[in-house]
Amino acid sequence: MKKVYHLTFFLALIAAIAGGALACANALTAPIVEANALAAEKENLKLLFPDAKDADFEEVSVKDAETIEKIFKVNNQGTVFKMKVSGYKEGTSFMVALDDEANIMDFVVISNGDTQGIGTKVTEESFANALKSKNSVEDTLDTISGATVSSRPIVDGIKEAGDYLLNQLK
Amino acid sequence: MNRKENFTAGFIRENPVFGLYLGLCSTLAITTTLNNAIGMGVAVILVLVMSNVIISCIRKITPSEIRIPVYIVIIATLVKIIQMLIKAYAPALDSALGVFIPLIVVNCIILGRAEAFASKNSIFDSALDGLGMGIGYTCSIIVMSIIRQVLATGILSFENPFNVEQVLFQVQIIPEDYIISMFSQPIGAFITFAMLAGILAACKNAKAAKAQAKEGN
Repeated sequence: MKKVYHLTFFLALIAAIAGGALACANALTAPIVEANALAAEKENLKLLFPDAKDADFEEVSVKDAETIEKIFKVNNQGTVFKMKVSGYKEGTSFMVALDDEANIMDFVVISNGDTQGIGTKVTEESFANALKSKNSVEDTLDTISGATVSSRPIVDGIKEAGDYLLNQLK
Repeated sequence: MNRKENFTAGFIRENPVFGLYLGLCSTLAITTTLNNAIGMGVAVILVLVMSNVIISCIRKITPSEIRIPVYIVIIATLVKIIQMLIKAYAPALDSALGVFIPLIVVNCIILGRAEAFASKNSIFDSALDGLGMGIGYTCSIIVMSIIRQVLATGILSFENPFNVEQVLFQVQIIPEDYIISMFSQPIGAFITFAMLAGILAACKNAKAAKAQAKEGN
C-alpha cells in the first residue's frame, strides 16, 4: 500500500512541475501569439480597405449572432463583418464590407473547404462582382446556380450582417 | 562504448530514420521543403536533448513501474513548450508543420532514446546521445527534403523561418518542364525513403562483408 502512495505522489509531483512549466511558457508566449493573430487579421482587412492604416480598424464585440465571428469598424468608411458559414463540407470563411446603409462595398473569401470546382465557385471574382453595390437587406442577392449549397449560406450570412448592422450597431 | 562513438552512432550506424526506422510518420509527411525539414529537425533536437537530460537527472529516483508515464509527461511538456515558442516566434513554420509539431510527442526516437539510453546513463552522456541522434534525424530529413523539393519543384530554397519574406537563397536546379510533381505527394515520400534506406543498408552490408572477409583471413 505504501508503494502505491509513493508512485501516486511521484507521478503527481512530475505532473505538477510540468503544469507549472507550461503555465510559465504560456504566460510568456500567449501575448505574442495573440499579437501575431491580430496582425494577420489586419492584413486580411486591408484586402477590403487597402488605404486604411492598422489603427483605423476598431473591433466591436458581437452579441447574439450565429455566423458573425468578428466585426471591425473602419474609421467612417464602413464596417467589416468576418463570417463563417456552413456549406457542402467545411463551409466558407469570408469578409464582407458594408457601408452605413448596409450596401455591399466589397466581399472577399478567406477560406473555402467545399468541393473543388463546384463549391469553390464562390471564391471566383464574378460572384463577388455580382454582390458588390447591392443592398444587403433590401436587394435580392443572387446565388450561383449549380452551387447553391455553398453560395446560399453566404448570401444568408451577408443578409444577417446587414440586419445586424442596421439593428444592433445603429 | 566511448563518448565519440556514442555521439556519432546516430549519424550512420544507428541512424534513427534510415537505420532504426524510427519516427517515420513525421519524416514522410513534412519532408516536402527544406524549410520544414530544418524547422522540424531543430525542434526534435531541442526536445531530444532536453528530455534525455531531464530523464537522466531523475533516473535514480524514478520508480521503474511508472517510468513510461513519467517519460511521456516530461516529453509532452517539452514538446508543448517548443510548440508555443514556434507559434510565437515563427508562425509561418507553425502553419507549415501544423499537427506534426505536437506529434513529436509520439515520435518513437524520443521515447526510444529515453528508455534505451537516458534511463541508464549519466547526464552528460545522455545529452550527447540526444544531440547525436537528433543530428542524425535532422540530416536524414534534410537529405530527403532536398531530394523531394528539387524533384517536385525544381527549386531549392530556404527562407528565414522568423520572417517568411526574407529568402536566404533560391536556386533553380531543374528546368520547370522537367519537374516530377509526384515527389511532393506521399508516394514520392515513400519512394525517396525506400531509396535512401536501401543505400544506407547496402553501405552497411558492404562494410560488414569487408569486416567478415578480414576476419576470415
